[in-house]
Amino acid sequence: MIGEFTDTKRLQLFYHNHLVCDLDMQFLHEGLPRTEKKACYVSPKHKEPAIAVKKDLTLYLSRLLGDYDICSKEWVVRQYDHEVQGGTVLKPLVGIVNDGPSDAAIVKPVLDSQRAVIVSNGINFRYGFIDPYWMAASCIDEALRQIISVGGSLEEVALLDNFCWGNPDKPDRLGSLVRTSYGCYDIAKAFGVPFISGKDSLYNEYAVHGKSQAIPGTILISAIAVMKDAGKAISMYAKKPGNLIYIVGLTREELGGSHYYGLFKAMGNNVPRVYPVQANKTFQALSRASSKGLISAMHDCSEGGLGVAASEMAFAGGLGMELFLAEVPYSGMSCGGKKKIDRNDFVLFSESNSRFIVEIEKKDQKKFEKLLKGTVFGLIGCVSQGKDFKVFGLDGEICVDSNINDLKESWQKPLRW
Amino acid sequence: MKPRVCILRTAGTNCDKETAFAFEAAGGDPELVHVNRLISSEKSLDNYHILVLPGGFSYGDDIAAGKILANELRCKLNQGLKRFIAAGKLIIGICNGFQILVKSGLLPGNDTLEQETSLIINDCGSFLDEWVYLKVTRSQSHKSQVKCVWAKDLPEEIYLPIAHGEGKFVVRDKQVLARLKKNNQIVFKYSDNPNGSLEDIAGICDDTGRILGLMPHPERHIDIRQHPRWEKTSGASLGHGFLIIKNGVEYAKNNLRG
Repeated sequence: MIGEFTDTKRLQLFYHNHLVCDLDMQFLHEGLPRTEKKACYVSPKHKEPAIAVKKDLTLYLSRLLGDYDICSKEWVVRQYDHEVQGGTVLKPLVGIVNDGPSDAAIVKPVLDSQRAVIVSNGINFRYGFIDPYWMAASCIDEALRQIISVGGSLEEVALLDNFCWGNPDKPDRLGSLVRTSYGCYDIAKAFGVPFISGKDSLYNEYAVHGKSQAIPGTILISAIAVMKDAGKAISMYAKKPGNLIYIVGLTREELGGSHYYGLFKAMGNNVPRVYPVQANKTFQALSRASSKGLISAMHDCSEGGLGVAASEMAFAGGLGMELFLAEVPYSGMSCGGKKKIDRNDFVLFSESNSRFIVEIEKKDQKKFEKLLKGTVFGLIGCVSQGKDFKVFGLDGEICVDSNINDLKESWQKPLRW
Repeated sequence: MKPRVCILRTAGTNCDKETAFAFEAAGGDPELVHVNRLISSEKSLDNYHILVLPGGFSYGDDIAAGKILANELRCKLNQGLKRFIAAGKLIIGICNGFQILVKSGLLPGNDTLEQETSLIINDCGSFLDEWVYLKVTRSQSHKSQVKCVWAKDLPEEIYLPIAHGEGKFVVRDKQVLARLKKNNQIVFKYSDNPNGSLEDIAGICDDTGRILGLMPHPERHIDIRQHPRWEKTSGASLGHGFLIIKNGVEYAKNNLRG
């Protein structure tokens, strides 16, 4: 025992019976006056890009796979001992030759127990250029859906925030930070997941020609979840030819801040939003399906959208895939804009939140669809025997005609040093 | 008899707990022992059947990986180790432990404990964590036999992870390599050399076959859940690493006194 609570309302510390500290509790708690800082936030308005409709999207898909935000990070992942202490049940790199991008890592900290911990991350600084509120919301959603992707549930989940920002003494920097915090608060509350800690790195500015420049305000959300049985872990790579491929969750016309727009040096304004009520339903339904062992593979749909997520599953599994965009539940009216003609590129590369690509065995089709009742989903294709990766557009014509070797090469090449 | 296993720890050791877990699963009685407790004679190697040098970064790998603990073994625990080896007991050095064994001269082994081989910086220049296939080297004269007691009855090819920055095996001169080959002291070779090791060497033993050093981590492939594609691996639930550790424990049970 090193101390006791008293009613003196003072903090008193002793060293060998000598009083060495005697402080008023009022002073300890309220002594430091709260600083007041000014924050202002003005919604930016970006130009909407006019991207020509193209019949063949193969080249765009490979360029997205090679984007530095999307491409393989194997070079750096392997420089970190991610298996020390022997409890890593799901490794950061998975697949038939251990090189596909896992959605999260699963660690069994107690070796003779099957209880495990899932660790995942959500980050996307580009959305912050449009609206930091939805950046925060999207990052929380990404971290949570990665937990679902690897077979976890939201029963026991905690979040951490990590703010990397410019100088908060400047009202515009602080304004976007405050707006991000609102996003964190609202969405975490809506999902019922607590923030337990976090880390800030502020004053990230440097001078260019005498003018101080801030880094893009970036939030990283880490999520940690308890998994009762590590044996229920699900990896993201395609498992067997003939298995069915589903997309779960609604694809909206949310290309703002997308990597697809990035290919055209454009930003746009329709940033992906989070719809927690619908998202929660999707998360819970998929958790039930994975706990029943119905899911062969599942992958989080994020940067680069459906096109990138499905490609990663295919080449990590060393198997081909055929997909049909006409089966993707899609809404072109997400942000109150005018209804546009549905486009293959928007369906394939939209980065709407709360979406998953799921592989199941044909024999489980009915059971799986029954469990998904009340959610939005579409049976969009199947895993195929060869190496071909084919996507058929809304009109039924082929719009991506590639193979997994080429796609994998596009994805691995940029950071293969 | 449950063989008593001394898992030697020091500052920077980080694979001790899972290694102890592996030895316990294989029927041993492991104990984590800090090197200072052996140096102070509070504990004695005489009371153990197996000495394990687990993975990690002993003393931060300052100077060179494993060098400082190697010097402690050579200079401060010399007599105890000599007795331990002479009594026919077993030693295994995993990763950092292998680095310690070669830098202390215990491997490949000679009377003066002079260092003849080393493990130096990987050809790729960086730390590397990945799973590798290893070929178990058979005896030159008797193809069905292996010299090392730790490698008995293993499948021809085994699968284990490596995680090291300094794993490139090199020798001082041609004679050392010739001796390793002649005495069948090369235990494991990489199927696809990840670090530039001479002749793909991943693990060697001493001339008795009772002291093994290897860069891959057997304690990280004890049960099937540690396999990177365990969802696709049907049937077998024991990892290849378990077989290596089980061999050591069984040998101690059958050949050493309680």
